[in-house]
Amino acid sequence: MAGHPLEPRLAAYIAGRLPDAADVTVSGLERISGGASRETYRFRARWRQGDEVVARRLILRRDPPASLIDTERRVEFAAYQAFHGSAVPVPAMLWLEEADGPLDHPFFIAEEISGFQASPQLMFAGGYDAVLPRLAERKWTILGEIARADPEALGLTQVMTPVAPDACWRKELDHWEAILDSDEAEPQPIARAAIRWLGRNPPPPAQKLSVVHGDYRTGNFLYDEAGEIHGVLDWEMAHLGDPLEDLAWGFNPVWQFGRGLAGGLASQDEAIAIWERASGLVADPVALHWWILFNCVKGQGIWVGSARAFIDGGNTDPIMVYAAWWLLNAQDRAIAKVMGRL
Amino acid sequence: MTPQVPSVLAEMAQLLVRNSAPDVAPGERANALTLAAAVLGVAAEVWDAAAENLVQENRALAALLDDAAGEASLRLSALRAENARLRSLLIAAHAAAEEAGDTAREEAIWAELIASTERRKLSISPS
Repeated sequence: MAGHPLEPRLAAYIAGRLPDAADVTVSGLERISGGASRETYRFRARWRQGDEVVARRLILRRDPPASLIDTERRVEFAAYQAFHGSAVPVPAMLWLEEADGPLDHPFFIAEEISGFQASPQLMFAGGYDAVLPRLAERKWTILGEIARADPEALGLTQVMTPVAPDACWRKELDHWEAILDSDEAEPQPIARAAIRWLGRNPPPPAQKLSVVHGDYRTGNFLYDEAGEIHGVLDWEMAHLGDPLEDLAWGFNPVWQFGRGLAGGLASQDEAIAIWERASGLVADPVALHWWILFNCVKGQGIWVGSARAFIDGGNTDPIMVYAAWWLLNAQDRAIAKVMGRL
Repeated sequence: MTPQVPSVLAEMAQLLVRNSAPDVAPGERANALTLAAAVLGVAAEVWDAAAENLVQENRALAALLDDAAGEASLRLSALRAENARLRSLLIAAHAAAEEAGDTAREEAIWAELIASTERRKLSISPS
């Protein structure tokens, strides 16, 4: 069977980025399932560098025609670069291309972290039961490290918009309310009730300005049989903000995977204790409750956006339908639970 | 459900045709068909009760809002349009009840909202 039609174009692009390389070939390009905000492919690249033959396993992350989440890939690329080599494990970034020409849509290329799993379904299928406590420890320790990091020292204030500690909540709430306004295909009375409550009951100012991953949950990191985490992925919603926002995203009830535990891994209190130890920060219960409810609204914004991308024909991948069908009503129920109505 | 089932079924039909071509990479075909199967399964699950749920919900909302408009058609598209109109009115009524401190009205609205999530709950629902 002939190779994927993108392979020769990708090889030509890599050859252009490696002027000292010769005979660049790309093979085995295949799309990895699940990505709804970027098309993710794995592939092998080979080239000759002097007398040496170099073979690399790489990842291509390309913008789809329309995304579940509209974000700047430059910000995502910078976030990966900033944390590479730190206590937060991430893949190494190689090249960022923002023009449409080479592969029709902007993309970036990274080293593949191979040999590990990301699937929550596999994690909870029984084979990993003995290491789930270890995974919980690592998951919230790494999130604590992200919260503790200094965005300015990481160089991320150059690509992410700084925000005053007392304005983090308003910036995020306005952003996601505007997405609901523009993308909803039908009225959302439960999300609107939550937005009104959030506006009337603002949280205290952020205790520090942190890098917020924006989608830190079970399913967005690579793990092994020993309960170690080898790569934190999907930084497409990364921004600067209140570190409690990231902690609270994982407490959105839709991420319990039917296990009644935060991220399917630990009680909320256990997760908070791990995070506080690692971050040196405090999870004020009142502020955390605000951010959990906010994240339920944010989730609804994402699922509504997924439906909108399909309806408008910008992205008819079945994942856009499945995400909306699976989660729109579930997110409403999660909002009702967090508001004490269910 | 959003997106609406007929448009989704039409798109899944096209997806099946595209993936019947022999030059589709096996991994990509497997991913597409697995997701399409999941989508079709959900469509099958909601099909039988879709009209009844919308009729029930529209009647409950109309009663709550004291809205006199009736059911002009039992087509799903017409029922959905009426549902959207009533839910939009419900948002305004809910905000007004909060503003007025009318907790009894708020409780009645929340009761209907919770009932609506029960009608829409799927077997795959995570919460």
